[in-house]
Formats: sequence, C-alpha cells, structure tokens
Amino acid sequence: MNHFPFVDGMQSAMGAVLAVGLIDSPVSVAHYLVVGAVLFTAGVVCMTVKRNALGVLMGIELVLNGANVNFVAFSSPYLRGEGAVSLGLDGQVIALFVILLAAAEAAVALAITLNFYNNHATVDIDRADDLKG
Amino acid sequence: MLLGLAWLAPLVSFVAILFFGPRMGPHGRNAAWVATAAIATSLVLSLAALGTWLVAHPVTAPVHDAHAAAVGHDAGHDAGHDAGHDAGHDAVAPSSADHGTHHESHGDHHAGRRPVAYAGDWYTLYHGGALTLSIGWYIDALTVLMFVVVTFIATCIHVYASGYMHDELHDVTDHEVHLSSGGHLHRPGRFSRFFQALSLFCFSMLGIVIAGNLAMVFIFWELVGICSWFLIGFYYERKTASTAANKAFIVNRVGDFGMLIGLMALWGALGTLHFADTTVAGPGDVAITRPGLFSLVRPAASGHALQVPDGMVKFAAADEVALIVVDHAERPHDGVSEIASRIDEWRDMGYGRWLLFIAGVGIFCGCVGKSAQFPLFVWLPDAMEGPTPVSALVHSATMVAAGVYLVGRFYPVLTPDVLLVIAVVGGITLFIAATIALVANDIKRVLAYSTVSQLGYMMLALGVGGWSAGLFHLVTHAFFKSLLFLCSGSVIHACHTNDMRKMGGLAKVMPWTAGTMLVGCLAIIGAGVPFVVGLSGYYSKDAILAQALSYSQANPSWSILYYAVAGGAFLTAFYMFRLWFMTFAGTPRDHHVADHAHESPAVMVAPLAVLAVLAVVAGWTLPGGFGLANLLEQARPAGTEASATGGFLFGTLTVPAEHESHAGAIHFMATMTAFTTAAAGVLLAAVMYLWRIVSPTVVAGIFRPIYTLFASRWYFDEIYHAIFVLPVLGIAHLASGFDRGIIDRIISGVAWTARQMAGIDSWIDRTLVDGLVDATAAATWTAGLELKKLQTGRLRQYVMFIVVGTVAIFVLASMLFRATLAG
Amino acid sequence: MMPATLSLALPLALPLALLMTLPLAAINWHTLLFLLFAVVACACAVAVVLADNVVRMAFYLVLSLGATAGLFFLAGAEFLGAMQLMIYVGGTLVLLVFGVMLTAQSPFVAIKTSTGDRVLAGMVGAALLAVLLQSAFRVEAWQLPAVGAVTAPTATPLGMALLGVRVDAPAAGAPETAVRSGYLLPFEIVSVHLLVVLVGAAYLARAKRRRTPRAIDVAASSSSPPSSSSSGGVAATAREASSSSALVPGGRR
Repeated sequence: MNHFPFVDGMQSAMGAVLAVGLIDSPVSVAHYLVVGAVLFTAGVVCMTVKRNALGVLMGIELVLNGANVNFVAFSSPYLRGEGAVSLGLDGQVIALFVILLAAAEAAVALAITLNFYNNHATVDIDRADDLKG
Repeated sequence: MLLGLAWLAPLVSFVAILFFGPRMGPHGRNAAWVATAAIATSLVLSLAALGTWLVAHPVTAPVHDAHAAAVGHDAGHDAGHDAGHDAGHDAVAPSSADHGTHHESHGDHHAGRRPVAYAGDWYTLYHGGALTLSIGWYIDALTVLMFVVVTFIATCIHVYASGYMHDELHDVTDHEVHLSSGGHLHRPGRFSRFFQALSLFCFSMLGIVIAGNLAMVFIFWELVGICSWFLIGFYYERKTASTAANKAFIVNRVGDFGMLIGLMALWGALGTLHFADTTVAGPGDVAITRPGLFSLVRPAASGHALQVPDGMVKFAAADEVALIVVDHAERPHDGVSEIASRIDEWRDMGYGRWLLFIAGVGIFCGCVGKSAQFPLFVWLPDAMEGPTPVSALVHSATMVAAGVYLVGRFYPVLTPDVLLVIAVVGGITLFIAATIALVANDIKRVLAYSTVSQLGYMMLALGVGGWSAGLFHLVTHAFFKSLLFLCSGSVIHACHTNDMRKMGGLAKVMPWTAGTMLVGCLAIIGAGVPFVVGLSGYYSKDAILAQALSYSQANPSWSILYYAVAGGAFLTAFYMFRLWFMTFAGTPRDHHVADHAHESPAVMVAPLAVLAVLAVVAGWTLPGGFGLANLLEQARPAGTEASATGGFLFGTLTVPAEHESHAGAIHFMATMTAFTTAAAGVLLAAVMYLWRIVSPTVVAGIFRPIYTLFASRWYFDEIYHAIFVLPVLGIAHLASGFDRGIIDRIISGVAWTARQMAGIDSWIDRTLVDGLVDATAAATWTAGLELKKLQTGRLRQYVMFIVVGTVAIFVLASMLFRATLAG
Repeated sequence: MMPATLSLALPLALPLALLMTLPLAAINWHTLLFLLFAVVACACAVAVVLADNVVRMAFYLVLSLGATAGLFFLAGAEFLGAMQLMIYVGGTLVLLVFGVMLTAQSPFVAIKTSTGDRVLAGMVGAALLAVLLQSAFRVEAWQLPAVGAVTAPTATPLGMALLGVRVDAPAAGAPETAVRSGYLLPFEIVSVHLLVVLVGAAYLARAKRRRTPRAIDVAASSSSPPSSSSSGGVAATAREASSSSALVPGGRR
C-alpha cells in the first residue's frame, strides 16, 4: 500500500478513536442526553444573549429541540439498556406534539415580532421594555 | 269625725291651690276665695263640733261647791259615757267608782276624776315591735276650743289678707330689693301662692291640735315650721326676708333637737308616744289595752298623782334589773315578780326621775323654739319681715301658741321641777321682751316683742301650776293679739311705713282702726272694772296673777316669779299705750305720712271689728256656767286638781292646785295688783306720750346705758352671731378652703396626671405604634420599589432569571435530596 | 474513456481504499453516525449562539435541526425524524427565515450585545450545562450499553395511537399492567390549537388601516436618503420585499 500521510493520519485517528472506545461500543441514552443538554444550553444562551427578536426565536427552537432529543432518547428501543425502562411510543408521541406546538408557537411569535417591527421600526428586544416597572 | 273633716278642709284647699292656683281667676284672685272658703268650712265644722261637745258635755259653773260639783261631774260623766260609744272611737271611760262617797277636801273628791277625752287612730303608718306610728286624734274640750279659736282667727285673717295682698295680683316692683344693676326688682305677683301656704299652715296647725301622739305632733310641728319659713320669706328676693326665714327655721330646729331628745327618752323608756290608752286587738280577739303616756305617768291606781312610770324606773335601774335576772336565771318568772315588787322601792330611791325630768325638759325645748322663749326668741321679731296677715295669724295667735298648747297638752307628764324650769324661762322671757318693746320704734316690732312677752306669761302661768289660766290666756291672747296685728297692718297699709316716729294723730283719719286697736290694747293690759267686769285679758291676766301669787306663797324662795308677773303687767301697759299714743294720738309727726293716711277698705276693717268684739267678750262667763274657763276645766288633766309636791333638783316644790287661787284672799290681792300695775303703766305712757309732760328722749338720756341695752335687744343677735354664726362660718370657710385647696388640688393633680399619661400614651401611640405601622408600610413600599426594578421589561433578563432559578432549584434539590436522586 | 473513468473512479476509489484499510468490522457504524450527527448538531447550535449575523444564525439553525433529525432516525424514531425535517426544518425554520428576511434591515442584521451580558450569559449557560450533564451521568440505567432490538417502523403505531388505539408492543421494561392511553384527545386539542394559532396569527398580521404612517415607513423614509447611496439596493429590495410580502399587505396601501 501507499502510505499517504493523510491516509495515515486518518488511520491513526480512527485507531485512536477506536482505542478510546468511542466508536466501538454502542451509544446509550446518556450520549443522547449530552447532545440534548448541549442543544438546550445553546438555546438558552441564545435566548439570553441575542438582542434580535428572531435570534431569541431561534433560541427557543433550539431549546425545544434539545427537549425533543431527550424524549426520543428515552423512548428509543435501540438505546435501552439492560433491564432499563423506556418510554416506548409515548416518548415519540410527546416529541411529535412538541414539534407541532413549536410550529404554532413560532408562527405566533413571528406575528408578534413583525407587529413589533412595524410599530417600533426595530427588532431589538431591548427596546421592548414598555412593561418595565 | 267633724273635727277630722275640719282638719282636712284646709289641706284640700292647699292641694287645690297648689295645682290650680295661677289659673284661679286673673292672677289667681280666686285662690283667696278657695282658701277662705276652706277655712270657713273648717270654722263651721269646728263650731258644729263644739256644739256637739257642749250638748254631750255641758259646761257647768266653777267647781267651788263640792256638792254641785259632784252633781255636775256625775252628769258630765254619764253624758260623756253615753256619747262616747261612737263607731270607731275609743272612749276613755271615766271611772265613777268614787262618786258614791262624799269627801270634805276637794283633793280627795277629785282623786279619781279623769278628763273627758276621746282618743283613737285613723291610720297606722308603721307598726314594728314596740313602735307604732299612727295618725290619730286626742279630742277633749281643749282640742275643740283650740279648733274653734284657730279656725275663727284664720278665717278672719284670710278675709283680711284677700284685701291686704291685692298688690300681688299684678306685677310687683319691690322697692326694698336692689338689684346689682341698680334698679328695683320687677316680678310677677304671687297671690295664689300666699293662700296656698296659708292653707297648708292651717292644715298643719290643726294637725298639731288634734294629734293623738307625740310623733304626729312632731311631724306637724315641723310642717308648721316649713309653712312659717315660706310665709316669712314670702318676699324672698329681699335679703332681709330670706335671712329672717332661715333664722326662724334654724332657731326652731335648735329647739326641735331638744324635743327629739325628749321624744327618745319617752319612747326608749316607756315604749309609746300616745297620749291616751290605745286598745288593740290581741291574739284570740282579746282587746289589749296599751297604756298611753298619761296613764303611765299618772296611774289611776295612785289617784292620778304624778309618779315616775315603771318603765323609766326600770330603765334607770337597769343594773339592778340585770342582777335580778341573772340571779333568777333558772326561774325567770320569779325574777319578773321580784322586779315588780321592788319597783316601788326603786322609785322611792329616786330611780328614773332624771329620765322623767329630761323628757319633760326636752319636750319643753321644742316649745322654747316654737314659742320664742328665752333663749330662742331671736327669730320672732325678724319674722315680721313677712306680710302682716302672716304676722297676725302665724306669729301671734297660732303657731307660737302651739308651743304653749303642747305644754298644756303634755302637762300631766311634767314634774314640778320641769314646771319650775318652764316658769323661770317664761319669766325671763317675759321680762326681756317687755324691756325691748319699751324702746322699739317699729310698730310691728313692738307687737312682736309683746307677743314674746305674753308667751312668757303663758309659760310662766303653766309653770306655776295654772293650767287653765295659762291656756285661758292663750285663747284670749290669740284674739287680741291678732286684732292688734291686723290693726297695725291697716296702719302700715295707710302710712306705707312701719316707723311709729313718723306717725301720730291718725285717730281722726282712721277711726275704726284706732277704736279697734284701743280695744285690743285695753284687752292686753287686762283692763276692766275690778271684781265686776272686764275685757278678756282682764280675766286671764287675773287668773295668772292669782296663781303666781299662790305659788310664791307656797314656795317663798321663788316669789320672784310673782314680782316678774306684776312688773310685766306694768311694762305691758306702758309700752302698749306708748304704741297707741304715738300712733293715733297727738299731732302728726310727719305731715307727708299724715296727708296720705286713709281708712282701710271694709274688707280689712270688718275682721278688725269682729275680733274686737271677741276680744271684749271672750273672758265672760255666761249665767249657767258657759265660759271659756269652765270649758277648759273639762279638759283638765287627771290628777292636776290637787296640789302637787315633789321635785328633787330645786328642793321640794309645791305646785298649788289651781282652784285654791280662786280663794278670796289671793284673788283679791291678785286683782288689785293687776289693776294698779296696769293703771300705773297707762298713766306713765300718757305722761310721756300723750300729754308730753316728760320727754322720752330726756328719759332715754338719763338712763342711757339701759336704754342702749334695750334698744340693742340685749345684744342677743350679736351674741348669737359671735357664738354660733361666726364659728360656723369659720368652719365653713375652712372646709371650703380645704375643699378648694386640697381636694380640688388633688383632683386637679389627678387630672393633670391623667393628661400627662395621656400625652405619653399619645406619644407612644404616635411614635411607636404608628411608627411601627408606618415603618411597615414604608418598608413594604420600599421593598416594592426595589422589587419593581426587577421588572425591567427586558426579555433577556427574564430568561436569565428563569435559567438561574432553574439551576438554583436543581442545586438545592440535589443537595437536599441527595439520597433520593442517587436512587 | 479510460482516463475519465479513472479520474472519476480515483476520487471514489481513494476513500474506498481508505475505508478498506480501516478496521471496518470493529466500527460500530451506529455509534459513528451518531457521533457525526451529534457533532454537527452541537457545533451548529454553538455556531447559532456565536454568530452575529442573523442570517447566518438562521442557516446554522437549519443545519443543527437537520442533524437532529438524523439523530432521531438513528434512535429508531423514523417517523419523528421525518416529521422533524418536514415540519420543523421545512416549516418552522422557513417561517423563521421569512421573518429574518422581512426584518433584516441593515441596522438590525447584526446587533451586538454588550460583552458583560455575554460573559454573564455564558457563565449561566455553563452552570446549566454542568447541572444537566451531571444529572445525565448520574442515573446508571442511562449509561448501560444499548441492547436494543429491531422493532417495527413507528409510523403506523404512531398514527393509531393518535387515533386512540395503542397497537404497539408495550415498551420493554414497562410494567405489564400499565395502562396505555391513546392520544386522541391531545390530537384534537392540538388540532384546535393550530387552528387558533392560524386565526390568531392571521389576525395579528392583518392589514391595519392607519391614520398615522407606520413607524417603519417613517423610519424607512427618514433613513432612505442616507442609506440609499450605500445599500440602497438592499434597502430598496428589503422595502419592496416588505411592501410586497403577503404577510404584511399593509405596506402596499
């Protein structure tokens, strides 16, 4: 074989990953939960940091998606550990409803945002403080 | 029954006028008619009662003939016995046990005689244990006579007053009242109230007369005092009048204090206040006779001789009684019988005589106050502040006579020592009052002091044993003194002044008044033809002098009483005619007064004439024996016909029997003395005031110190003021000062403390409590304001809070529920 | 021909050759694909946070949600993954992109927050992440290696469940006597909910008769002269887009 450096590198990386055991054992629920946590946190930070109203909406989508990932993980028949309990179909139904409601909420939120934009000529939510005490 | 109605008629009038007075005619004019009608009704009823009495108990000739007396008494007793069986009356059945025997001495013959009297109770107010308070009567000849006298004079005076008081029918301007603003007082007239008070007075006076027990006497005694107070102070806006009214009432009160002591002594020792025996229904329908005072003090068993009653003996010998009771503790009946057997022994030793003495003197104290004797006479002259009809009725004829009447009614209970006290007091009063009257210039004052002096006469007469003489003088004095007062009222009405120094020569202008007043003056001095005929005062004065002479002969050490009476007669004649001469004779001293003088209207002169007639005839005894003196004899208390001997305080005294004074020698001597002293007095008065031979001012200058003493009324007012009034005022000032300075200061201090406390509380409330509340509110407000800052309205911040909160909850939960999460 | 085929096959052959060298048998392809999708999802999510330009944020979000759909497929929820792609990515995010388009005026495209806010938010996010991760790794049951068996496709059971009938086998490990409810009622409710949202959104975004000009028109008119020179085209395009958009018909009046 020709040992190209790139291929070698990849081989070693793969070997390393394999050695670490990252890709040889099956994933468990915990892995999915980690992903869900990261999505959730990203969404929360996005909601907190973004001044653009649409950025906040994106954060909301991320949060909901993180929750969905968790639900799916819990309901997955593949990810179930030995003797563990899974949600089964219920989890997927819940996730489905979440998606639906997220869509509804996004629509309404967008309508509000556009109204706000039309009335105040800005989407900066920091300027939407008329309700301040 | 008749007398009961007569007594109540003025009460009806009083009540009627009380409620309807001002509405009776214009300004209450008709109130006079109502009152006069009532008292006239009483008069008619009294006369009817007198008539009934005379029919039942005919008045016989004087009892100098033993046989005739026995016959007369027999007839009188039988008739009284028959007439006594009236429904509801309890008759004091006279004993006729001794009529079968004739005795030589009058004393023995009269030993068992008892006066004809009826006694009973109408209504028992209170009956508890030994005390029975009831409204009842004791009616004998004296009662009937007094009723007639009082109602008659009252009727005359009612008529007189309806004319005299015409000023009160319209609004009055009282010139003697000076207001602080400088003018005179204007007030509406009080015509009806005058008659209302007169009616009440008549009611109470008649109540005293008819009273059957001392408690009732006391009640009406006080009631009379109240009426007198009101009538004296009728013109109450005048300071002098209101002060005089208070003085009268207070001085009377002092006397009543003694009366209460007497009442208590009687009731405490004897257990009853009734005069006569009362019969009550006891258990088993047996009539129990409770002896009255007269029976207790003069028991029939001892011939009605005065002795200390068993109750008082036992009361005084209480120690010995207790010893006996203890000795006989197991056989109390023996103890009772032993006590009964030793009572006479104790009585002889003198137990209980002090008690009887005090009882008598106590009751007499009330009379001293009411009848203005020494030393309580200072109110009567000041009582002349009242209208003249009041002076005539109340302070000459009736109310002041109540004291004498009570002494007369209570006579059986009075021991010789008490009688001597009465006589001495009367004598002193007689003398002092006469001397003051000598130099008085106010016409009513002269008459007032004359009244006091005459009352002293009566007291002295009663004290020396002249029971019927004293009461006889009471009746005649009532007539002529009221006549004199009414005449003086007429004079004052005409001259508009009381001062005799401004009068003179009024006889030409006022003939009727002058004539009737002359009759009155003659009556009071006892004028008459000796041994033949005389005016009413002649007989009564005669009787008094005779009895006084008899007494001074029996008790030589007290013969000064006789000289006092004689001297008093001289002085009386002098000052009475001084009054008449100064008023009516000679030339007018003040032409202004003389020009305006006029005779009084008929309504005022008519009573004068009537009373003048009575003043003349009241002393006469009609053939057949009817006369005042004999009428009074019917009521003579049991046991007083004989001479009484006794006394422990002032040595042995003899109170001679009254009819002994009718014996020739004494009677002659007394009559001569009376005539000569009266004549001398009139002569001296004429010398000084009619013929102006001797000038009064010169005489006054010669006897300047004595004159000053008399003119200053013996300084009694000043002495009393210093002894009694000033200390009381001083104490009052002290008490007032104490009240203001200490008590008020304490209360103010308490109030101040309360205010300070209130201030502190208020501060606490404001600062602490309110501060707390306000601070809470402020804290809440501040908290709200601070928390409001959380609401920034900024979405990102809200999200941040959500996240932070979530994280915090998770952390906390994980820390707190570590075990749960691990599972 | 030979050289074209060779040139075409070379790039293909290279990876294949690479792949042939790898110990393919030892690779758990499920795990590898999971890692792939997970990394993409997370990275794009972080990129959404870090991006300033809202348009780029939208793009990264699309990628992230697409990778999430892949995750769904890998977890056996193929229907759900399809729905994610169709509804979420294809509907919601498109809507979001529309909104971005409508409001992406030049001052609003990249609004920066203050550094302090971002640091604070980062700290809070880190704390939240720590909490979540810690709880994820705490439960032992979630860390057991999967032993999942192949199951039937989930579309039919899901549909039936939505109609109220549970035809799926009970979830492994669940109690035998557990009551399994249908989801008919929530289905209906969500349907009504969507209807309400439809009506509400339409109402909110309706054309309004205005007496005063819209603020956006004022702002646009006031800013048009200075901006017309620099980004006039963009602004004009945006304005025209906004004025001609169906969502905001009021601009045309």
